[in-house]
Amino acid sequence: MPQPPTSQARDRYWQPFEASASDPWTIERVVHLHRRVGFAATWSEIQRDLKAGCDASIARLLAGEMRPRTHGFDELASAIGDVAAGSASTGRLKAWWLYRMLLSPDPLRERLSLMWHSHFATSNLKVKNLALMRGQNELLRQFALSPYSNLLKAVIKHPAILLWLDADANRKGNPNENLARELMELFTVGIGNYTESDVKEAARALTGLSVVDGKYGFDVAHHDGGPKTVLSDATVSDVDSLLDLLLDQKATAHRLASVLCETLMGESAYEAGAVRQLAEGLMARDLDIGWATETVLKSRAFFAEKNLHCKVLNPIQFMIGALHALELDSPPPSTLVLARWARRMGQDLFYPPNVGGWKEDRAWLGSRTLVARANFATELARGQLSRDPHPPNCNQLLQRYEIDSHDPYESTRWLATLLWGHAPVATVESVVEHARASDRLSPLNAILAELLTRPEHILA
Amino acid sequence: MHSRRRFLKTGSMVSLTSSVPATLARLASAAPKQKDERILVVIELGGGNDGINTVVPFGNDGYARSRINLRLAEKELHKLNNGVALHPNMRPAKELIDDGRLAIIQGVGYPQADRSHFRSMNIWHSGNPEIKEEVTYGWLGRALDQRKQNDRDRANSSGVFVGEQQTPPAMLGRESVVTALSRAEDLELLSQRVVDLQAAGAIASQSSLNQFVVQQFSDAYASAERVQSTAKRRSTNVDYPATKLASNLKLVSQLLHSGTESRVFYTIQDGYDTHFAQLLTHSRLLGEFSGAVKAFLDDLKRSELAQRVVVLAFSEFGRRVKENGTQGTDHGTSGPVFLAGEAVTAGLHGQTPDLCDLSDGDLKIHIDFRRIYATLLDEWLGLDATPLLLQSFEHLPLFA
Repeated sequence: MPQPPTSQARDRYWQPFEASASDPWTIERVVHLHRRVGFAATWSEIQRDLKAGCDASIARLLAGEMRPRTHGFDELASAIGDVAAGSASTGRLKAWWLYRMLLSPDPLRERLSLMWHSHFATSNLKVKNLALMRGQNELLRQFALSPYSNLLKAVIKHPAILLWLDADANRKGNPNENLARELMELFTVGIGNYTESDVKEAARALTGLSVVDGKYGFDVAHHDGGPKTVLSDATVSDVDSLLDLLLDQKATAHRLASVLCETLMGESAYEAGAVRQLAEGLMARDLDIGWATETVLKSRAFFAEKNLHCKVLNPIQFMIGALHALELDSPPPSTLVLARWARRMGQDLFYPPNVGGWKEDRAWLGSRTLVARANFATELARGQLSRDPHPPNCNQLLQRYEIDSHDPYESTRWLATLLWGHAPVATVESVVEHARASDRLSPLNAILAELLTRPEHILA
Repeated sequence: MHSRRRFLKTGSMVSLTSSVPATLARLASAAPKQKDERILVVIELGGGNDGINTVVPFGNDGYARSRINLRLAEKELHKLNNGVALHPNMRPAKELIDDGRLAIIQGVGYPQADRSHFRSMNIWHSGNPEIKEEVTYGWLGRALDQRKQNDRDRANSSGVFVGEQQTPPAMLGRESVVTALSRAEDLELLSQRVVDLQAAGAIASQSSLNQFVVQQFSDAYASAERVQSTAKRRSTNVDYPATKLASNLKLVSQLLHSGTESRVFYTIQDGYDTHFAQLLTHSRLLGEFSGAVKAFLDDLKRSELAQRVVVLAFSEFGRRVKENGTQGTDHGTSGPVFLAGEAVTAGLHGQTPDLCDLSDGDLKIHIDFRRIYATLLDEWLGLDATPLLLQSFEHLPLFA
């Protein structure tokens, strides 16, 4: 059994953040937390968490109570999901998930589900079954913060991934290595930690997995019952013993720690040692994703200066975050329209680009996808995201929080703080100046459009 | 206060002064990357094109015998030789052949033709006639993967799909990425946007990531401006027909002219599944197809791009030789494949299908489609076709 990490090592990388007079819990840190992992926050949520302090805010986030639970949300979301899954419209299924991200009381879980969607990147292009795609999505949500074995086993024993990775074609004496290879390269130990012979042997262990009447099934007639040797000397027989062996590998814990750090931490904001340390913690705790998430979020490293404003938001965080922070989610915009924007920005839900999922960070910022982001901002400010178009009423929002909406500088500073957690002087001046030149929008909406197309709005 | 602020439109960044950070000044002067790399544009003719009424073997006795209601009048055809002619509505294609820009490969298919749209399309998309399941990686996706592996520095080995449909499986790669575009507006800014270099400079000085974001914004706005100004400049003298396929190809042209790094493009013209009252529909489709390709190539002709672009058009199968009882045709086997561009060896390639020498009522297959893929991959895209197609295929003399 691996040893739990020594407190000394933990102190080194994932020491908890503790607010002090010289290093206080600030608006910037509250906004950082929510933009990074929970689709941003409204002004009242920011104020609430500023008062409550770091630990209480993170506890609330982990408990799934970040946003107030609107009456009947679960029932409504589930009804929308049922209709979407039963329809032939992929747009409706995308809209269903976006609706959840916009209104769920548990945005962290939705954010992590999106991370797992990219990790277990399965595309309806090949699965061609919305009910199965939705079924897989519910598993990602259900086990988003569980021990990884629960998530991995649930996803592997579900028809969506079996269809996606040709499991049915993998039969005794006639192997198809697709599932075995991706299981090792992408879902567990990662490249460099297995050989081609391991892939072949693992493929034999996975023979017999099939989809029967739209459900996970096992066909013993196609299963290769002989012993298989994987990872040098381990003998496995079937899917369960193979998954258990892979879950037990140090390399799997390391890969998981990498995935979490890549998602939760910013560019150049952590060292290789921090990943190793997190991996050791995961090994000692049954690969508990919830524990690792909490450890990262509560850390000094997470709130450190060099981890602020250094993560490129993905298109969905970019859209949903702005809509939530600006309180444009009740009534919500048309999530069908949002789904089309997400596709233009390069993040077409349920259609990841390939088995490796979406390339994150700098890869989001191609010319065309940035033009789409700028155009989305324009359409938001013009109120074109709903079926019944009307420009957002920024005046009302500012007045709600007693901000002088007639003073463009004060308005801009407040909006920038709401959206980014800080308001750089040069940017505020530039935004006010540029907004004056707009003739199609009200002054406040012109300011909003400017803010949403600034480099600051891409980075969290 | 105003004097210290400079607002510059990305299109006019030449007016940069020394007050602007050096990194930003450099990016402002960066011209769009013009390379001599070759480009492939694929048009999928979805539904199964009736090759017999496209490249018409009017001189063959079997034509009049098997096509009663659907026979095209000889005097209206565009003759390519004594026995073969193009459909009456394909004048633009005939013009392309006459000035050396269109090759037609006849009798293309694969062994044991499958008459399911779905499976046959999967075979063409994967490049694998043995495929049983859904396509995991398509032939173009694998090609883009190889291109990426050949050059690890290439950040952007992506293909572009233009259309409303889902991305075609042909473009699925393991590492490469396909971006989908459906409207011209997706390339243009809805509202004038500029990167304020003064404000951006304040951020950019903080980290390389900030610099990168500012640079990408500048590039994006500059490329949108190029698309817009090219569109404005060119709209007067480039005449694209008012069809969906033409507007998709126009979008490809705009992308190419604005300096995109993508080298593989794909679009779909649907509607070729003509089981019923075929004549009118088929004529319209072929008119749209040849008109759009001609307009696209004429558009490119006015720039150095003409030498760098080849268009491939294929359909998942041809149709039966004998027409059916509802003035249409049912699913068949082989059909013609089109290859257009200044680089191609124009004219007819391969043996003209003999309508009197059939196999179970269907045309015999003379050329395996993978020979065309192999020729394109090796000779046009400069890749290694053998690992991509899992065996080597004899090339066709498609390029001079």
